[in-house]
Amino acid sequence: MLFGKECRRILTSLTFIIYCFVVGLFFVSQFIDENKGDPYIPDEKISEDHDIIIDSAVDCLANEYLANNYICYPLGFYKSVRLKEDDSQKVEECLLEITGLTHDELMDIRDSGEHYYVEHGIQETMYYEIGELPVSDTITYERFCELMGQVDDILGGGSKYKVDDLVANYSYVPMTQEDREAIISDLYDKDRVVGGYARLFSDYVGIDLGIMPVFVAAALVSADRRKRVSDLIYTRKISSLKLIFTRYTALVTMMFIPVILCMISADIHLIRYFDFNDLALYKMFTLPTFWLLPQLMIVTAAAMIVTEVFSSGIAILFQFAWWFYSIMADGARLSGSISKFDLVCRHNTVFGREEFMLSKNDFIFNRIFYFIAAIVITAITAYIYELKRGGRFHGIRLFGKNSIFRHKA
Amino acid sequence: MVSGCLAKIVFSDTRHNYLLHYLAALGVVLLTPVIFGVSRLDERLAAQPLEFFLPLMGAILMPAVFMPEQNESIRDVVRSKKTPYPGVCFMRLLCGAVFITVLTGAFVLYMKSMDSVVTMRLFAGSLASTFALGAAGFFASAVSDNVIVGYMTAVIYYICNFGLKDKLGVFFLFSMTTGSFDEKKWLCILSVVLIAAGFVLRRLFRER
Repeated sequence: MLFGKECRRILTSLTFIIYCFVVGLFFVSQFIDENKGDPYIPDEKISEDHDIIIDSAVDCLANEYLANNYICYPLGFYKSVRLKEDDSQKVEECLLEITGLTHDELMDIRDSGEHYYVEHGIQETMYYEIGELPVSDTITYERFCELMGQVDDILGGGSKYKVDDLVANYSYVPMTQEDREAIISDLYDKDRVVGGYARLFSDYVGIDLGIMPVFVAAALVSADRRKRVSDLIYTRKISSLKLIFTRYTALVTMMFIPVILCMISADIHLIRYFDFNDLALYKMFTLPTFWLLPQLMIVTAAAMIVTEVFSSGIAILFQFAWWFYSIMADGARLSGSISKFDLVCRHNTVFGREEFMLSKNDFIFNRIFYFIAAIVITAITAYIYELKRGGRFHGIRLFGKNSIFRHKA
Repeated sequence: MVSGCLAKIVFSDTRHNYLLHYLAALGVVLLTPVIFGVSRLDERLAAQPLEFFLPLMGAILMPAVFMPEQNESIRDVVRSKKTPYPGVCFMRLLCGAVFITVLTGAFVLYMKSMDSVVTMRLFAGSLASTFALGAAGFFASAVSDNVIVGYMTAVIYYICNFGLKDKLGVFFLFSMTTGSFDEKKWLCILSVVLIAAGFVLRRLFRER
C-alpha cells in the first residue's frame, strides 16, 4: 500500500522522468549506436609478463627521472610534475634498487647517450637517449610493485607507476592472428556473445547510475519538507524503519525499471546482429544486475542519508564529487579498471574477458560491499529519521545565523 | 532607497542562504591546481582547467537563485513583501556572476604568474562556458520551480560534453581545448536567452 503510493509519487516526479530520459538517451547514443555490426577487435593484448612490465616501467621511470619531468594524469587531466631535490633523491633510490646500478653508473649511462627535446606546453624538456636499462637479478615483482607504489606516492598519484595500472600500462603486446582467433572464440564460447556485451552495457549504464539517482532520491526526501507535510507524517503510526525502507525500496525499484527495459532492448538489438543460437540472452540480466543494482542502491542510500542530515544540495555536491573522482581517478584507462572500492567500475570493451577476470575477485568484493553498505546506511537513515521525528535532532545546517554548526529551529 | 533595500536583501541572502554555495565555488577554484597542471602551458593545455573544471562554479551558483523560496513558508512571506521578487532574484544572479568573474579572473592571473599562455580570449571563453552551464541549470530551475531539477540539468549538460561532443555542435562547452573559439559566441547567446526565458516563463507560469 505505502510502497505503491511511494512508487506513484516517484513515477509522477519530474526528476524521475528526466532520469528515465537520460538513462535511455545514454543507452541509445552509447550502446545501440556504437554497436552495429561486428565488434571492434583491439590490436594489442595484455601479456601480464612480469619481465616485460619491469623492463618497460624502469626505462620509462629512468627517462622521466633524468629529465625531472613526470607526466601525470590525476583525475584524467594532464599535469607535469617536477620534483624537488629530496623527492628526486627518493625516486633515484627506487630506480637504483630496481636496476642494481650505482649512482655513478647511472650518470655514466646518462652522459654516454645523446639528448633530445620534447615540447610539453610551452616548455621544452630535455630527455636522454639511455637505451634499455638493466634490471637487478635480486629484485622480485612484489618488491618492484612496492617501489613503484612509493614513486607514485611521491608524484602525488595519477602517474604511470600506479601499482594497479602497471599491468595495463606496460604489458601490452601486439596481437597475433592466433590471439585474435582466441578472443573471438572466448566471446562465442565462454561469453556466449551476450556476456561481452553485458559488460559493455554495464559500463555505459554504470556511468549514469553513479550520479543520476541522487537527484530522484534527494527530490523525494526533501519534498516532505518542501510541501510542509513532514510534521503530518511524523505523527503517523508507521515505524520509521518501515517508512524509510519502504521509500528506499520504492526508489530503487522504480529507478531499476528503466535499466531492465534497456537490458531487454540490448538483447533485442543483439538478436538483430548475431545468430540466435550463439546468444545466451539471460547473461544480459544476470551480470548487469549484479553490477548495477548495488551501485544504484549505494547512491540512493547515500543521497537519502545526506539529505536527511544536511540538505539535498549537499547530497548532490557530495555525490557529484564521489562520481567525478570515481570516473576520472583511473584516467584514460577504460577497461579492467575495477578495484575494491570503485563506485563506477569501468570495462569499456566487448572483448577483454581475460582482463576483466583479472579483477574478478575485487569486482565481487566491491559489489557485495556496496550492497551491504547500502542496507546499513538506510538503517542509519531510519534511525536519524526517528530522532527527527521525536524532536531530538533537526538536521545540521552548515551555515546558520549564529554559528557554523547550528541546529535548525 | 530601493537599491539600499536590495543591497540589504542581497547581503542577508548571502549570509543565510548562499554562503555554502560561494564556498563551494571557491573550493572548485582551489581544487583546480591540485587536479590540473597550471604552469608553463600553451594556450590549448591552459584551456583544460578553464573549460573542464571552472564552469562547475556556474552549475553551483546559478541554479540556486530560487533556492530560498523552495520552502513554501518562506515563499509566502516573500509574496507579502513590497520588494519585487524578480528584482531580488536578478540581484542574486548578478552577485553570482560577479563572484564567478572575479574568481575566474584571479585564476587566470595565477596561471599567468606560472608562465602559462593565458589570453583574454581564454578568460572570456571560460566565462562563456561557465555561464552557459549555469544558465541551463537556472532555466530548468526557474521553469520547473525545483532547484534539484536545475542542478540535474546542469550536471546532465556537463556530462553530455564528455560523451556527446559531436551531437552538441555549437553548444559544446570544451571547444577551446580542441583549438576552436567559434562556439563561445553561441554559448554567450545561449546564456542570455536561457536567463531571459527563465525569468519570463517563471513570471508567466509560476508567479501568478
